[in-house]
Amino acid sequence: MSDFLDEIEACVPALRRYARALTRDADRADDLVQDCLERAIRKRALWRPTGPLQAWLFRMLLNLYRNDIRRQRRRGEHTPLETMAIEPTTPAAQHGHLALAEVQRALDKLPEEQREALLLVVVEGQSYLEAAQILEIPAGTLMSRLGRARAALRVLTGTAEEPRLRTVK
Amino acid sequence: MTTGQANRPFEITEDMLHGYVDGQLPPAQRASVEAWLATHAEKAAEVAQWRRQNAALTTLFGPVAGEPLPDRLNPRRIAARNAARQWDWTRLAAAAIVVIAVSVGAGWFLRTATWQEEPRSDRLIDGALLAHSLYVKESRHAVEVAADDKAHLVTWLSNRLGRPIDTPDLAPEGFTLVGGRLLPPLPDTGTGPAAQLMYQNKTSNRLTVYITAAINPPGPAYKTYTEDGLEAYYWANSQITCTVIGDLPQSDMTTVARGVFQQLTWRPDPTGRT
Repeated sequence: MSDFLDEIEACVPALRRYARALTRDADRADDLVQDCLERAIRKRALWRPTGPLQAWLFRMLLNLYRNDIRRQRRRGEHTPLETMAIEPTTPAAQHGHLALAEVQRALDKLPEEQREALLLVVVEGQSYLEAAQILEIPAGTLMSRLGRARAALRVLTGTAEEPRLRTVK
Repeated sequence: MTTGQANRPFEITEDMLHGYVDGQLPPAQRASVEAWLATHAEKAAEVAQWRRQNAALTTLFGPVAGEPLPDRLNPRRIAARNAARQWDWTRLAAAAIVVIAVSVGAGWFLRTATWQEEPRSDRLIDGALLAHSLYVKESRHAVEVAADDKAHLVTWLSNRLGRPIDTPDLAPEGFTLVGGRLLPPLPDTGTGPAAQLMYQNKTSNRLTVYITAAINPPGPAYKTYTEDGLEAYYWANSQITCTVIGDLPQSDMTTVARGVFQQLTWRPDPTGRT
């Protein structure tokens, strides 16, 4: 049991980061992670998860997050857009950088499934294979979600036009 | 996402471009993607945008993993708490089993011992005695509704008993009202819930008045009972049954019981006032 707890503990920072990126609300994120850890520890008493522990935990966290979203929708609540991990006043853009606040707002507009996939790959650094397993989708689906997420972000941050303008010049 | 033809730039797929940006390509493919991008400016600009997106997302959320963890996310604490909770639950379950076993046993005993023999009036007296012994010992929780909310107490108990109940004034006997509570119906009496009123004198001696709706058939109109130093005075009319219980000397008990009896029973039209 104590090895298991050590392994879990090693995953907590990543779970927390992913939850924060998904919810953009520190308390709600920690609630989800706590719920996830409690379930994991409780379930561990009954069976040993197959496959890597981290993927198992991420999968559980995602399920909790999706349930949470469903519940919130039913209640008609909205997470205020202002609850940002980083102050939206961060000044935009040295040249060639994207304004963080802008990216964050754009991220909020992505469909859930695209956001889940993008954050898992980019922020969590999961391999495509692992990410597909966590999301329980085929690798091809993961890649297309990733592609759509990136294309949408380009449009939403207004950077999609940039190359064309350049070629016009 | 990865198709083997690393050395043929025209085979570069969208998936490979993602793999390139996410650092998930083997070195050989990396090189060919780079070579291909060098000749495809528009795609190269798009890929550069993806990289900036990645950088922005990493900047936004990466630092969260470095934040100190709150205690509530400590797996060891959670495990310890789960274990404690489970232990509580196990104990609770064990206690529940004991309670059920005892209740069933006692119930069966009472049933066989009393079935068809004990009149309902006796059962009511027993119930009144049990409730008396239980609640006179309480200091903070002796009553549910205290005497300072007497109007509410009277309305509430009258409603629940379906009978107009008043709280007898026992000041002449030296007792003031502490308050009252509602008690569950006694099995097999058919009277519905009971009201218990509690009184107390200056020496903190307490007595209780246990009232239910009338039983049918009415049974004896009057009974007394003594047990373990407790005196119980029971009577019944067409509206209510009433049991006064206390441990005063018998003569004092008689006086008090008569006071209660007179105030509760001799009402010209009991249904007329609520």
